[in-house]
Amino acid sequence: MLNILLKKIIKKGAGRVRYVLAMVGLTVALLLILAAIQLQANYQQLLHGNNAQDSIANFLVINKEVTAQNAGNTNLTDEDIADLKKQPFIQGVGVVTPSRFKVAASGGSALPFYTDMFFESVPDQFLDISDKDWKWDDNSQYIPIVIPNQFLDMYNFGFAKSQNLPQLSHDLVKSIPIQIDIQTPQGQKSFLAKVAGFSDRISSILVPQAFMEWANQNFATQPPKGASRVIIRTDDPSNPALIAYLDSHHLSTDMEKTRFSKYRQIVGFVVQVSGFTGLAMFLFALLIFSLFIELTIASCREEIRLLVTLGAAPGQLSRFLMKTFYPSNIIIAAVVLIVLSVLQWLLSGVLAHESMVISPFISIYTISGAVIVLLILWWVHIRTIKRQIAGT
Amino acid sequence: MEITLDKIIPIPLKENLEKRPSEVWHSNIRFKTGEKVKIKAPSGTGKTTLVHFLYGLRSDYTGTLNWDGKALNHLKPDQKAGYRQKEISVVFQDLRLFSQLTARENIELNRVLQEPYYPATVIDEMAAALQVDHILDQAAGICSYGEQQRIAIIRALVQPFSLLIMDEPFSHLDLNNTKKAAALIDRECDKRGAGFVLTDLDEDQFFNYTTYLTL
Repeated sequence: MLNILLKKIIKKGAGRVRYVLAMVGLTVALLLILAAIQLQANYQQLLHGNNAQDSIANFLVINKEVTAQNAGNTNLTDEDIADLKKQPFIQGVGVVTPSRFKVAASGGSALPFYTDMFFESVPDQFLDISDKDWKWDDNSQYIPIVIPNQFLDMYNFGFAKSQNLPQLSHDLVKSIPIQIDIQTPQGQKSFLAKVAGFSDRISSILVPQAFMEWANQNFATQPPKGASRVIIRTDDPSNPALIAYLDSHHLSTDMEKTRFSKYRQIVGFVVQVSGFTGLAMFLFALLIFSLFIELTIASCREEIRLLVTLGAAPGQLSRFLMKTFYPSNIIIAAVVLIVLSVLQWLLSGVLAHESMVISPFISIYTISGAVIVLLILWWVHIRTIKRQIAGT
Repeated sequence: MEITLDKIIPIPLKENLEKRPSEVWHSNIRFKTGEKVKIKAPSGTGKTTLVHFLYGLRSDYTGTLNWDGKALNHLKPDQKAGYRQKEISVVFQDLRLFSQLTARENIELNRVLQEPYYPATVIDEMAAALQVDHILDQAAGICSYGEQQRIAIIRALVQPFSLLIMDEPFSHLDLNNTKKAAALIDRECDKRGAGFVLTDLDEDQFFNYTTYLTL
């Protein structure tokens, strides 16, 4: 009953339109802030998630620069590798193991070609091929191999065109058995291989680590060579510290990758800008809210004074005014969180098609952000109301 | 509750009041619980100022004014509100009703501002006794002064109190209505064992005053 009477006495004197505008301002501000937090969370998840479908995690193949002085001696020493592992901007280092035997490949009758070639292998976690296709043991019928995408492009758009040969699709190449001849001390041995995948990361012909170890042990015609190349995983290939490190150690890598990461930095920057914009709008919304409360209280200053005269406790009035003004903030925060949840769910669906995995739910940071914003609003409301009542 | 005045004198009226004799200003007075005090005050002697001092609305005075032995100036707003809800009630000379609320809502507000002392039906009983029951649902702003004054009296009586302060409470009432209002006030005070302080311009016989002072 008291609240009904108080509501009659304390009209929202500053006008409904202004109140609605303040609400809209807060909604937009909250949406921007929380969306920025959520985008950061998604971005971090994409960047650091150790997921098989993780396509923007950054792998770099590193080798020594070949110069006139070191030609023929470009191996990375154990100390070099240990030092790489110690760097904070490198999350994983895998040694690229070269084959120590001679390999030749031919296409048989299906694909008439013959070439000398080489194999290399890297630890499995540096490849995004499912386990099923990337397995080898003594009983395997085929050796799975991974070839660079560039090879197929060079064949399809260069070689095949000029020689009047048919162009080949990824699936077709994967279905063709390739005969592999390995020169062993005991003479030539033949295996069958199939292309299991294509890689943009590593400009090499890869076989499973298990096959490489087995073949090197059994067929090696040369002594162990040491690592001439390593593959690293880093969260930010354009990290100036990484670039500086590589330069100072005369190491070179795929510069195209480091250029791509510039775009990522721009994305990060845009996310930050939206966060700052949201923050600025939030500050304005806070200002509008406190002004709105001040106006409301000022416009019924006489009524509030009479209420206090009659014995209304300032605490009682504060509670009533909080009940009048605050719940709409909770509703706004809830609406914004629901909107973000729906957007996140849709986004995760869209990104799944692009082989990027993010959580279909909003992050705990986003929810905490909403709670913190509500606490700040609570504080601003209480403070404004207390000050205004004391002033009447 | 008990109010004590120790050499109170309003700062704005200091020069005027110091020259003339008064039983209140510059004196030591004690309004004890249950006392029925009449303060006769000719115009310009600071009657309304005194009422505002007693009720704690103004503090521009020298001297000390205590509510139950506590200096009124040092009471916190919430403590003051507690007194106004449970111990001290008031009828202002200028009535001070919310003009946008109905007469009933004005009374109801003071009834529910604290744990209600009376059920809501008492409003109708009191209004009937003072012959204002027909305007209870009318906006207070359009009621006559006489009606508003009776509404203000009922408003003061629906809350719990041990001291009632009234500033010319019958100024707009005819003799008949004044007698009815005085009877109601007397009854309500006796029921609570409460006292009152009534200020007026002239002498009257409406109550059996225990103390009679001239301002």
